[in-house]
Formats: sequence, C-alpha cells, structure tokens
Amino acid sequence: MNTTTSKKSFRDDVAGLFSEGKLNRLKDLGHDFIESGNDEHSITDQEGKRYLDCVSSRGIFNLGRSNDVMKKALIEAVGLTDQGNFPMISIEKAALAEKIAGFVPGDLECTVFSVVRGESIDFACKLARGATGRKEFIALNGSWFGQTGFALSLSERDDAELYGPLIPEVSFIQPGDIAAAEKAITKKTAAVFLEPVQVEKGCRVLDQEYLKKIREICSRTGALLVIDETETGLGRCGEKFAFEKSGILPDILVIGESLGGGIFPIAATVFPQKLNKFMNAHPMIHLSTFGGSDIGCRVASAALAEYEKIKPWENTTRQGEPLLLELSVIMKQYQGVIEGLSGEGLLIALDLGTEKKALTFCRELATAGLLALPGDIAKHTVILRPGLLIDDTTRADIVRAVQEACIAMG
Amino acid sequence: MGGIMEQHTQSTEHSSTSLTEEDKKKIVSTFSRYINAGQVKYLKAGHLDVIETERSVATFTDPVTGKVMYDCFSSAGCFNVGRRNPVIIKALEEALSRYDLGTSHLVSESKLALARKLTAIAPGDLNSIFFASGGGDAIDCAIKLSRAVTGKKKIISTVKAYHGHTGFALSANGKEHYRKYFEPLMPGFSFVPFNDLEAMRQTADEETAAIIIEPIQGEAGIFTGDREYLQGLREICDATGAMLIFDEVQTGFGRTGKMFAAEHSGVIPDILALAKSIGAGIFPNGAVLYRPTEAVQSFLKSSPDFHPTYTGGSDIACHVSLKVIEYIEKEDLCGRATRNGKKLKDALEGLRRENPKIIREVRGIGMMVGIEYIHEFLGPMMSDALAKNGIFAAYSGNAPQVMRFMLPIAASDEDVDMVIKAIRAAVSDMKTLLPIALPAAKIPGVLKLLNNEKVQTVTFNWIRSIEDFFGKLKREKRS
Repeated sequence: MNTTTSKKSFRDDVAGLFSEGKLNRLKDLGHDFIESGNDEHSITDQEGKRYLDCVSSRGIFNLGRSNDVMKKALIEAVGLTDQGNFPMISIEKAALAEKIAGFVPGDLECTVFSVVRGESIDFACKLARGATGRKEFIALNGSWFGQTGFALSLSERDDAELYGPLIPEVSFIQPGDIAAAEKAITKKTAAVFLEPVQVEKGCRVLDQEYLKKIREICSRTGALLVIDETETGLGRCGEKFAFEKSGILPDILVIGESLGGGIFPIAATVFPQKLNKFMNAHPMIHLSTFGGSDIGCRVASAALAEYEKIKPWENTTRQGEPLLLELSVIMKQYQGVIEGLSGEGLLIALDLGTEKKALTFCRELATAGLLALPGDIAKHTVILRPGLLIDDTTRADIVRAVQEACIAMG
Repeated sequence: MGGIMEQHTQSTEHSSTSLTEEDKKKIVSTFSRYINAGQVKYLKAGHLDVIETERSVATFTDPVTGKVMYDCFSSAGCFNVGRRNPVIIKALEEALSRYDLGTSHLVSESKLALARKLTAIAPGDLNSIFFASGGGDAIDCAIKLSRAVTGKKKIISTVKAYHGHTGFALSANGKEHYRKYFEPLMPGFSFVPFNDLEAMRQTADEETAAIIIEPIQGEAGIFTGDREYLQGLREICDATGAMLIFDEVQTGFGRTGKMFAAEHSGVIPDILALAKSIGAGIFPNGAVLYRPTEAVQSFLKSSPDFHPTYTGGSDIACHVSLKVIEYIEKEDLCGRATRNGKKLKDALEGLRRENPKIIREVRGIGMMVGIEYIHEFLGPMMSDALAKNGIFAAYSGNAPQVMRFMLPIAASDEDVDMVIKAIRAAVSDMKTLLPIALPAAKIPGVLKLLNNEKVQTVTFNWIRSIEDFFGKLKREKRS
C-alpha cells in the first residue's frame, strides 16, 4: 500500500469481499491497513509501521502475540494427531479436562469444550435449563456474552431486536442493585449470568459485596450462577479468574478463547459433577465438531502449563496498578479529553465522553502506534487490554501513545 | 492422566502408539469423570469406545488391539482431504512461520486470500463473506443476517434438519430430541417436510425472513433435495422476498462430487454457510458467503461487525483453508468423490438386493452415501457389527435407522474396496443376531423397546460384558 493504486485495491478488496460498512468502520478507527506481522506485544502493517496491541483480539492474547511456546506446542500436536472424531473418547480430551479441573477452584471439574465464547455461553444456558428444569435466565445490564443465539439474548445490544425474537424468558437487572436482584432471582430462575468486569460497558467492575450477595441469593433459590471469564480470566485482572477476589464460586464457569494461548481456537464451560448428572443422562445432546479438537486440547494443555509456570496474573498486578496511576495523571494533565477511567488489572477503559470522540481517540492512538477499540456497549469508551507479559518499557510506550493521542485531541 | 498424554507423545515419536488395557481403562475413567460417563456407555454399546491413534488418510488404529479402522464418519464430514494430510500440515507450519490467530477485526493478506478464493469458487454471485468459528456459528450468523436484512421474523426449516447446537441453529433443528430440554427456544421458527414444495408454498409468506435448508440432509439420513424442489424454493424466496440459506457445512468442499452441493441443482442461495472440511480436520474455521445486494449493504453500513468471531477466520485458519481448497482442486477430489461414491453406492445396492429384510434403501450422492435399515434398532446393531469388522461408522443423529458412510474423499480406490468388503462381512455377522431380534420386533411393544436408545445402551453393554467375560476366559485358557 505504498502507492495510491494499492490503497485503492485495499479499499476495493475490503468493500467488495467484506462490505463498504466494514471499510468505513476500519477507516473511522484508523485501522484501515493490512495486519502483516507481529512480535510479542505489537503488530505491524504492510508498511512496517508498528502498533502496540491493546486489543489482544478481545483477550485472546494473554500470553502475548505469536508466543513461541504455544507455536511449538501446536507444531508438536499436529505432528501427532488431528482434531479427531468429535464423539470419540480421546487421550487429549480426557487429559485437558482433568487439567482444567485442577486449574480452576472448588468443585468445578467437568468440562464441555467449544470453539468460541458464544458457544460456551450457549451451552451454559442449555445446561442450566436441562439441569434445573427451570426456564428463566437473568442477566445484568451492560453484559456482552457473544454473538450466538443464547449469548446474544443475554447481552445488552442496541441492535438486538433486528435479530429477534430471541430466546424467551430472559430478563435484565441493574448491577449493584441488590434489592432488584432479590426480587428478580426466584425459584423459577434457571441461572444468573455475569462478567466480573463488564468490559464492553466501559470495564465496569462489579462490586465484590454485590457478587457475594448474588451468590447467596442463587444458593438460596437454587438458581445457578454462571460467570463468564472470557475477557477477565486467565490472569487479565490480577488473579487466575477475576471472581476469585470475592471468594465466591460460580456453578458454571466459562473460560474463553485465551485457553488456546493465542494460537488455537478453543474455549470451555466448566461445572461441578452434580450438574453433569443431566449430561450423563443425555449424552450427545449438545455437540461441537471443532470443540475439543485433539490438537486444540494439546495446545490448551500446554497453555495451562504455561499459565501455571509464568503466573501472568502476577505481572498483571505489577504492571496494571502503575498503568492505571499513570493514566490518571494523564487524565488530569489533559483535562476534558479523558473523562474517567475504569477497570482492573490490564483491562482499562478510558471514558472519552462521546462515541465520536472515542473513535477519534482510536484514530489518534493508531497514529501514535497503538491499537485499541471502543467498547461495544459503552461506545464512548476506549478499552486498553495489552498482553499480560508486558514490561516497563511497553507500559511506558502505552502511556506515551495515550499522551500523544490526548495532545492531538486537545 | 497428563502423564499418559506425555508418554503417548514420547512413544509416538518412536513410532509405537500402543496402549495397554490398563492405560485405556485409565483414559476412559478420566474421560468419564471429567467429561461424560454417559457418552462412554453410549459408545461402548456400539463397540465405538475406541481411541484413535495413527490417524492417516482414511484410517486410524485402535492402540489397544492394533486393529486398523476405516473412518466412515470423518467427524461428520470434516476429513474430505484425508486425515492428517501432509500438504495441509505443511501449510499450517507455513502459516505459523508468518502468523498467529491475528487480530479479529483487522484485514490481513491471509484473510483476503481466502476471501478471494471462496468468493471465486462460490456458486453464482455470492461475492462477499463473513468468517465464522464453526458450523453452528455460521448458521447463527446466516439467520441473523436474514432477519436483519429483511426486517422479517419467520424462519422456515425442515423436519429432521440439522443445523447445529448454538441458539439460532438449535432453534432451526428439526428434531425435538435436541431441543426439548432447552426450550423455550426462539419464536418464529417452523418446520415443514423436506422435499415437499407444496408444504413450503403454504408456509412461506411475506413475513418470512428465510428458508434454511441443507441441499442434502445429512443427519436426517441423507435425503437429496430434488432439483425441482430446490428451484421451487428459489422461486418462493424470489416471490416473497425471503432469503434462501443453504447449510453446506456437511456437504461442502467436494463431499457430494461437486465443490458445493448447490451446483447439482444450479440453484444459488442468498446465503451459504460453510465449515467442517474447510479446516481439513486440522484447524477450525467457517464462512458465510452472501450476495451483497443493496439491502444487505445498507444493513452492513450501520452494522458491519454484527457477528464478529474472535477466532474464526483467523490468519492461521485462512491460510490452511486456502490450501485445502487448492488441494481439492489440484487432486480433483470432486471427481474422485463421484467415482468412488458410485462404486460404494453400487456395492451397497447389491447388498440391499441380497438382504431386503435388513436394508430398506441405499441413498446418497458422491461420497455421502447411506443405507436405511428396516428398523431403527438395526442402526446401533450394525454400528456394533461394523466396528468389529474394522469400520467406524455412525448412525445418523436425527435418524438412527440410517447409517452414513462418509469416508474421507481422499481415500484410495483400494481403501474403498476394503470398506465394501468389511461392510459385507458386518451384514453377514449381524444376520446371526437377527433370528432373535426380527421375530421379537413383531411382538407388540417390543419394537418400540428395541428402538429405544436407552434400552439399546443397556442391552449392548450387557452383550459387551458377556463378550468381554468369554474373551477373558479364552485368553486365560490360552495362557
């Protein structure tokens, strides 16, 4: 894309093969380039320009981009096996499921694999209805669980009605409002769904007391508590899983795509033996062709070993706390550009006030060499989620890029 | 347990993949505890509790017995290019030297190259694409697109249709078995009999957003949509403004003897959902091709990323998928599917003529061939007999009386001959059980019982334990 012609061919390709809307969106973000390479914490475009990756493809790259250990694990796995026939017993599926049981807290020990977050949530919904015999789901305002049918039905999306009517018997409550939770969660509730940090809602952190209270109400009414740690888990918020800070345990845990170490699509829904009674009585009632691929299981096993070894959650705290502090200094320094900060660990949202300003800010960040996206619900926020293994230098680069963008906005 | 996986890794490097009975027991008990004990029982009943090692082109090896099994399931159609195809493995290694999964919302050379290729080989003017993480995700994307673009709500699917397990896909699943514990699902979905144009005419109207159909129903038991039927669906859609969605997750990429099954009828849908073999059984991927009409473009102007996938359409996957398509073209797998499919079908037809009390019908197209038994319970029985004869085949999820033979298309002519021989032997073995089962099926109530999946699981497991007991006795006697 050094010449006008190649810029034109990029535009024609994206508009033709994907859509005009996609091209415009990329332009609005300042991301209208070709991702052409990467190193640990950044990507490069076709002209060799570097961008610090603060999107991490929505939290897939907790272990950084092109992680060598993960690449090696994938090459080894492919040398040995393939995805396998999905209904079959395999060494890989058994070994990973056992490993997951050891990795997650409490009595969560049974796993159903999937490829993508939405699929994991959809299964969690099915398990909740199947195991409880109840129909009602409760989600929190500001939730975003994915794109598939159930996940979409539980998410706050301004365009949801375009795809509906969606799954019935879903209602929403306001996070933090305990009285509303008390009223809404009843013996008819199959499950309550939440993310400990509502990332797309400007990284709104759920209060620990609130989480404890929800746990208590769920236990009292027999409603299952489903916690989606796709974007917050595997170290992103300073613990293995963000819910651990509150000391509670979910009944169903969704581990998202970062399970695949940024190299293979795999996700998981984890739950205790008592809920598996339903699945044992109805085997093969929920299937996933690609979920639990034997190659994927080998890669994910290697990823979990790497998570255990590196403990990226420690670095998250080490870098996340000063990063938040440094960003708040910038916020004060350039009054009126960043209106607020929210988040936990290496998951931080900057409030730009309006959707338009958030898009402009993303463009300015791109100019300054940083890749970030606005929240999908709180469109006036811009979310920073770098790889979890960043060092002081990369953190300083993030801060510098944010500062440059603030100057440009001013 | 991780230990076994690591040992297995090491031992395979020294090209020995054997497992002892003890090893297997440990694996099975770990699988039962951490994944699903019911599934183990279910598989055991049909002699399908086999661990797959040494996967290669059309076979895998049972590491305990050393028996080579022909894979006639192909993970429901994922292994068109053959299992562990070295060309595709090389492509993956190439991809890894340049890419990782990539940033989902960005454009890359890898994504562009696959998008160009898929839109070039797609039927008609399906010139634009979304990526998806797998079959269900692709179907959810397709249905969402149809509702959003048309502004209508009604989705018409077919009885016994199988579209996947995610929310929209499940709502369009035509068998109650998969839906009943999870209801209420999405309103607005209705089901009409497959290949019944009149029923579709009566159901589709101005409120219909989409008709979703597999051009050849797979899990339903291999039913090919007639040309007139599919053309009729196109006409209904054109008249009512509904979008026509083809689910080619199972039929795509050469399975039926054409790159896409739609080519047999020449009918071009508005949306085409693809997955399974696009990833060669190596790396997950999926795609939704669509005709970029003004209405679609107008919707996408405001919602270009209405169905993003963070791992589908990854840079690694797109490179792999591109090489899969090139391989199918270069090796003329479509031609091979036609040729070997015909050979298989002819042989099965011969078997049917010889065994009219067992086999009702042989159906299929290309390497998507199935036989329908007279009774449902013969499906699991035959699964069992086939397994003993070195064939891994599964009866259809939405029609247990139908068994699909979906070998990897890349299987050699000799492989197909061996499979035919083994099926013949299995039918002959099964006949020994029929003098009891067939008369029993005539007793009122017994047929229903025999067709019950739970009864089958219990009965077959009982037979298995007797076999195991006598097998053990024989072994002990020998030693």
